[in-house]
Amino acid sequence: MKKSILLLIAFIFVFSFISVGIFASGGQEKTSDDGPVKLVVSSRLYSQPGEQQFLIDEIFPDFEAENNCVVMFEILEDEPLLKRAKFQKESERINTDVVIAHAGMMSDWIDNDYVMPLPVEQWTDRTFSKAFRGSTTKDGKTYFAPVGGDVYLMLANKKALPYLPEGADINNITWEEYIDWAVNIASGEGEGKCAVTGVPQKSLIYMYGGMFLSYGGEFPVINSPGAMEAWSLLAKMKDAYTPTVNTYENVSSPMKSGEAWLTVAHMVRCGEVYKSNPSGYVLAPAPKGPEGIGSIAGASGFAVVNGAPNEELAIKFVKYMTDPEVAVTIARGTGGFIPPIDEAIEKLGDSTEDEIIAQGINVLKNGVVAGVPSSEYTSWGAVKQVYDDAFQELILKKGAIDKTYLDEAQARIDALKK
Amino acid sequence: MDNPTGVLSREQKKKIIPYLLIAPVVIYYILFWLLPVVRAISGSFMSAPADEGGVFTFGNYTALFKDPVFYQALFNTAFIVLISVTLEFVLAFGLALLINMKFHGSGMFLFLALIPMSLPAVAVGAMWTSGLSTYGWLNSFLIRIGILNAADKIIFLGGGHFAKMFLIIIVDAWQVIPSVMVILLSGMQALQPEMMEAGYVFGGSRFKVLRKITIPLLKPTITTAMILRIIAAIQIWLIIVMLFGYNRLPVLLEQIVLNVDKYTGSEAFFRKGMALSVVVSLIVSCVSFLYLKVSGAFDEPAGKGV
Amino acid sequence: MGSIRRGVFRSVRKTTLYIVVAGIAMALIFPMFFLFTFSLMSDYESYSEWPKPLLPRIKVEFRLTPIESVDGSYKMEIWNNSEKGFTPFGPEENTRANKSLRKLSNFIRNYSNCFISEKELSEIMDSVDQNGAETFILKKKVFNNYTRFFTLYSGAAQSVLNSLATAAMTVFLSLSIGGLAGYAFARYIFKGKNVLKLSVLFVRMFPPVAIALPMVIILGKIGLYDKPVGLSLIYSVNQVSLSIWITASVFMGIPESLEEASQVFGASKIGAFFRITLPLAVPGLAACAMYSFIYSWNEVINALILTQFNPTFPVVVYRSLLGANAQVHLIAAGSVAQALPAIIFTLFIRKYILQMWGGVKV
Repeated sequence: MKKSILLLIAFIFVFSFISVGIFASGGQEKTSDDGPVKLVVSSRLYSQPGEQQFLIDEIFPDFEAENNCVVMFEILEDEPLLKRAKFQKESERINTDVVIAHAGMMSDWIDNDYVMPLPVEQWTDRTFSKAFRGSTTKDGKTYFAPVGGDVYLMLANKKALPYLPEGADINNITWEEYIDWAVNIASGEGEGKCAVTGVPQKSLIYMYGGMFLSYGGEFPVINSPGAMEAWSLLAKMKDAYTPTVNTYENVSSPMKSGEAWLTVAHMVRCGEVYKSNPSGYVLAPAPKGPEGIGSIAGASGFAVVNGAPNEELAIKFVKYMTDPEVAVTIARGTGGFIPPIDEAIEKLGDSTEDEIIAQGINVLKNGVVAGVPSSEYTSWGAVKQVYDDAFQELILKKGAIDKTYLDEAQARIDALKK
Repeated sequence: MDNPTGVLSREQKKKIIPYLLIAPVVIYYILFWLLPVVRAISGSFMSAPADEGGVFTFGNYTALFKDPVFYQALFNTAFIVLISVTLEFVLAFGLALLINMKFHGSGMFLFLALIPMSLPAVAVGAMWTSGLSTYGWLNSFLIRIGILNAADKIIFLGGGHFAKMFLIIIVDAWQVIPSVMVILLSGMQALQPEMMEAGYVFGGSRFKVLRKITIPLLKPTITTAMILRIIAAIQIWLIIVMLFGYNRLPVLLEQIVLNVDKYTGSEAFFRKGMALSVVVSLIVSCVSFLYLKVSGAFDEPAGKGV
Repeated sequence: MGSIRRGVFRSVRKTTLYIVVAGIAMALIFPMFFLFTFSLMSDYESYSEWPKPLLPRIKVEFRLTPIESVDGSYKMEIWNNSEKGFTPFGPEENTRANKSLRKLSNFIRNYSNCFISEKELSEIMDSVDQNGAETFILKKKVFNNYTRFFTLYSGAAQSVLNSLATAAMTVFLSLSIGGLAGYAFARYIFKGKNVLKLSVLFVRMFPPVAIALPMVIILGKIGLYDKPVGLSLIYSVNQVSLSIWITASVFMGIPESLEEASQVFGASKIGAFFRITLPLAVPGLAACAMYSFIYSWNEVINALILTQFNPTFPVVVYRSLLGANAQVHLIAAGSVAQALPAIIFTLFIRKYILQMWGGVKV
């Protein structure tokens, strides 16, 4: 008898929650009909809580007051963002107005007609940096307005400094010296201390691609003469990487814990580590090759969703956010990204306190920089995988360069071309 | 209902009742599940969506079967399933028997044993990546209690192919043993203690009673626990990706996710993923069917479990 | 003599039992203990010591020393347990300028979970000027990672309600329609039974990743976007099939003769079911409820797509952790916070899985 009473209580409990669930959602819907217009912005960028707070406190209010609207800002990773776009399009319930997507995913957004072209030619007061055209445009139309540019920097734990090869200058280091440095550390410490993002589908392609650029290669060709020269240097790194380098999703964890001491990585990752202990690390531009400092420049971009409920307002919003003046304010208030707008970079100039942005602008201005040509390939993820496989096979397994392997790899990349 | 001229006789009613009981499930599945599955299956035989000029093709399957990674994934999955299901079943059964002894504090112990299965993926990922990394807590613990010297840390994640698989099996077992155990335990609870008592009265040893009485009585539950576990084990992928990333220890499900979610934008990869889904579901159903056949679940007389 | 020997034997057996139990419990708790420990640590503790500490610190020792070469500037140091000494902490140079003080105070808050105001810092600098160097101890805010999480995300409370509603509906759906079908499979012989039972299982066999999005799109078309009901309908797909199999096996274990016997004494068929069979099946039903609850509580992949302004709790945790790259202490706090309700639920439901009062006597 006792049990059946308990069961009864449990069922009442369940039912009450069911009704809560139905009413909770019902209540929310009612409020959405009145009041100012809601502009829904879904973003992969500004995921740090402080960054969101800054946007909501300092950037959105002006726009909201001017247009009598409320900006609803939410963050998601690229993948669910894209899936949700598909979901909203196919179920014909589009309620997102603006998205911020990564350069590597932009072709997916454009090819599937999830986003619409932007009237950038009317925005004469700004010039979007050239490096990103490859991913933001298609057939002469601009779909994405770039934001949050990034390049690759070098970060070293101060414990690694005694191993620095003689005559090398950290702020002006060459790839040969960098690799000797990594090898020195490994032989001195008895274990490799260099890190890259060794897990597939991450940023290894950009780390190596940047190096190939500095040897005169082009991105993402894997077997160009420049790239071959770079590969033959990299082959020495077999034991200079940490033993578990192929499980690193990002370099910041191992760099922070002291598992790794040396890396060339995305400036935001470098920034995370550097800021956690400024007196323990040295931050410097990426090493250079014969052609100078090479780096892949990534960016995210604003786009207006095709069929957005508030299309005009959404375009206004993108225009507002990429205004050089606003872009400078955002760059100062949020951490670690370069505004990919020429006028904004000029305004930011040398006045920036943030060492990471300053280093990044330096690379962007003076280096050999290439964007992410994801729109030229059917699947950018598969192109990444070719680099990940080559890294595993040639560097970690063999420690020697195999021309035929790389030629085959390039054939795989070519096969993915549109 | 008790109208003698009612449309249905008592016999007919009895025949219809089971169908009525099952009907809600069938309707629910037809509404939400069947269409996507039919689409996925038919999609795996097309070169592109039909309205974009796709034609019927086996190309997706031939591409799949030509891919050496598929065979690696097949082997790895088979290996992991074989070992982990056996291991997990034995340990879970032991654990269930232990808890079923209802010793003082067994309720608390059950609660502890249930916690791993209630952890979300993010917790499991954080726990093991921070634990198994070379500078993680597992090595720290071993050094702090003096088992290891600080110099010779164990490189857990740097092992070879089979070391990786055993690591996955252990980590996976830690989380799923409770879920197997719960099914077995709930089955044991429904058994009448008199049956076992009778066994002891007639002089059976503990082991003999277990083998001759408990296990046969538990058979439906064991079958269920095993079949659910086998199906889930074949579909293992998330923990592998969290520890090693994609494509480093390929398994079947991880390859589907890779093709469908990671190689986005390409019709060929997407359809290869669909083809792989169909192949995986065929493999799972064959294995389950074989298991059910061998264990004799099909000849179970209804309601005569005792 | 014999009884003493038996007594000794029994107590030895009992001790062994408890040693085994304790050993297993340790193995189970061990990884979770570290996860919890991490969640109480600061950034500095969780990364800058090797070997890592096994327990979180409660107090942190700092030292402020003047930099000889530059007048009026100071160096902050923190005690490092593994190096048994002070190590540099924070900006390389700190001065009395307001900006520098604020930077230092923020740094101490963000990376050591200790709180010290700018004024206090400048007072310490004063005494450094007099005494050369100053060592001071601050109390660490042990639960800072958790409070940070809930103060930053104001929608967290509402999302917990959404999650609970979703979970309750999933449990209800899978127990009700799953239980009915399970009973049918256990008690009746009918045409197509084996085929049906296998096809129910097939629902779990088809890889969910391949059909998740199309399934969600169907829901979107019906208009169940951003609602707990919609989510629970998706979550139940897997859970119903599980419930059918578990309940069927449990009902099969309960002799039909018990029901028949009570019918002899005048109970109706339905009455017999509720009075005899259902109580015996409670452990199995409880297990099903637990599976459904846990699955629904933890699911995030579909929830990310299907919710926007009414997110479930895991979605809120997911979003908050997107920015917590390489901050394992925050990730640990988020995942412990997410796991806690599910753990409490298992604490509640375990009573029904393990019926301490034994089987129902007939």
